[in-house]
Amino acid sequence: MSDITELEKPVETGHQMRDEIRQISDRVRGRRQLRSRIMVTLCATALSVTAVPLFLLLYQLFRRGLPVILHAGFFTQLPQTPSLITPNATGGVSNAILGSLVLTLYAAIMAIPVGVLVGVYLAESDSKLAASLRVIAQTMAGAPSILMGLFAFSFVVRDLHVGFSAIAGSFALAVLMLPVIVISSEIAVRGVPNTLREAGLALGAKPHKVSLKIVLPAAVTGIVTGIILAISRAIGETAPVLLVIGGGYINSWKPLDPVSALPLSIYENAKSEWPSLRTEVWGIALVLVVFVFVLSLSARIWASRKQQAR
Amino acid sequence: MSIIIPPDFGTHEEVVPEFNSGTPSRSWYHYLLIAASIVFAAVSVGFVGTILWNSLPEWSHHTGTLLGGSGWQAPLGPFGGLAMIVGTLETSVIALVVAVIIGLGTSISIVFLVPRRFRNVIATLVELLAAVPSIVYGLWGFLVLAPWMLNTVDPFLNRLPFAREVFGNSSQEFGTSLLLAAIVLSVMILPTFVAISREVISVVPQDLIEASLSLGATKWQVIREVVLPTAKIGLVGATFLALARATGETVAVALVAGGVANTQFHLLYPGTSIASWIATEFGEAQGNEIAALMALGVLLMIVNFGLSLISRGLVSRQRKVLAIV
Repeated sequence: MSDITELEKPVETGHQMRDEIRQISDRVRGRRQLRSRIMVTLCATALSVTAVPLFLLLYQLFRRGLPVILHAGFFTQLPQTPSLITPNATGGVSNAILGSLVLTLYAAIMAIPVGVLVGVYLAESDSKLAASLRVIAQTMAGAPSILMGLFAFSFVVRDLHVGFSAIAGSFALAVLMLPVIVISSEIAVRGVPNTLREAGLALGAKPHKVSLKIVLPAAVTGIVTGIILAISRAIGETAPVLLVIGGGYINSWKPLDPVSALPLSIYENAKSEWPSLRTEVWGIALVLVVFVFVLSLSARIWASRKQQAR
Repeated sequence: MSIIIPPDFGTHEEVVPEFNSGTPSRSWYHYLLIAASIVFAAVSVGFVGTILWNSLPEWSHHTGTLLGGSGWQAPLGPFGGLAMIVGTLETSVIALVVAVIIGLGTSISIVFLVPRRFRNVIATLVELLAAVPSIVYGLWGFLVLAPWMLNTVDPFLNRLPFAREVFGNSSQEFGTSLLLAAIVLSVMILPTFVAISREVISVVPQDLIEASLSLGATKWQVIREVVLPTAKIGLVGATFLALARATGETVAVALVAGGVANTQFHLLYPGTSIASWIATEFGEAQGNEIAALMALGVLLMIVNFGLSLISRGLVSRQRKVLAIV
């Protein structure tokens, strides 16, 4: 502001005035640019401050994890508890890998049909029920995952007398996945151009035929992408399964058996007193992260391919 | 955690044909959709209702203890929640402040400083990092950062003047502490915050930026006077989402905070948070303690639902503001 008032001082000739304006402008520009340069440098610093710990994390994960998963039997053997005689015998994590796959599979079977149908309903209806379901889905999507564990424990494990089991864990994960699938399916169905719907209706098709035969096929990319993202979130969650799956030490796919899961065995091995188990845990973490990365990258690449094709 | 912020569906100018618009009788398909919706609503109501119902015994008798009492006497009670509530606040607020300051700089850099061809790669990388399960962040904090804290950071902090009043003694043997929990949380919520705030910043209309540049504004002036004010509401929304994630984080905090119901809130002492306390105590809990843990869950739910309702409202309001511009 002061720089502008300086400009208003009376000056004798146009020549002098021009010089003076130039001087002030040079001075102010120098200050502005210095300030800009400092702030931009600070922003760049922030970028590197963000990058450093995250790269360290990934680097250490791969450096410590790769030797573990290359170790014979890591994927095929059951875990062993090390003893004083064999302090390095950790076995493998086949039960946790199978458990994670089974948990996610059952959860997907429970969550996908309901989630997609609700998403379609939200996209195609204007009713009050739809509006309130939308708010519920958005709120549930961010709910802390430990609460799903509490819900599954009280409802499935205790009230239904199912006990600690794979199905209880899958129920918790399904509750976690549902709102994510609902929201992404709604977005996908709404993304279908209205002209397609109108063309179908104009040809005399019944509304449900239009929805099933025209809108759903057109929206399938977005729906599947949302499902994959929901699965990749569910497979990495520890808290909901921690309370209800029981942590079984055998390979089992049966819904009523207690099972283990990759995140759960990371949590338990990390706290172990055995150094060999604390080394092995990096391998488990690497397997989990690779699962998650492959899932979310494939969803992303597939979605962008389809978009280009359109 | 996946980040999906749905577009705003509040207004319906382009009306989608209703199911019953042409047909006098509703089809089976319509009823199927309604049935699925009712299942979803029932699950959601059951979710809230079950946790509330199971926590009732505790709320009806010991509300005061739960909200302000210290000490958690495991089998019978009293169950004081003060340590967990303050621990949650302390860790998540510190984590949020760090993550928002650094994350904002990072998002600005990604949108305005990084060359265009790297921008998509970095954005994808950030979203991948946001998808890394929180247990992996906890593992890294527990096995890598905790020894480093114990050997390097804690002794250094203790040598600073007045540090004892703020940080307390670092006398624990593992290096796990509330401070470490806050650090791990901030690293963990950074990708989440950056992913959303980058999106919010990058949709600021190019016209506004170019108009400002053509008036001779420097890069920082454009950011400060045009970009940040335009994106303000969305950025606040992103902050609330990050806070919701930090308060709800369970296993990472359970690993690195130390898991002690400690009411001396110095940062270098081990502590705990609501979510991680539920996770660590639930395995051996019986009767009353289960009710008390459920009551802590209710607290967490109220805070979290409040935060996410606010943040989603803000982000969709941002969309409307930008649509007008």
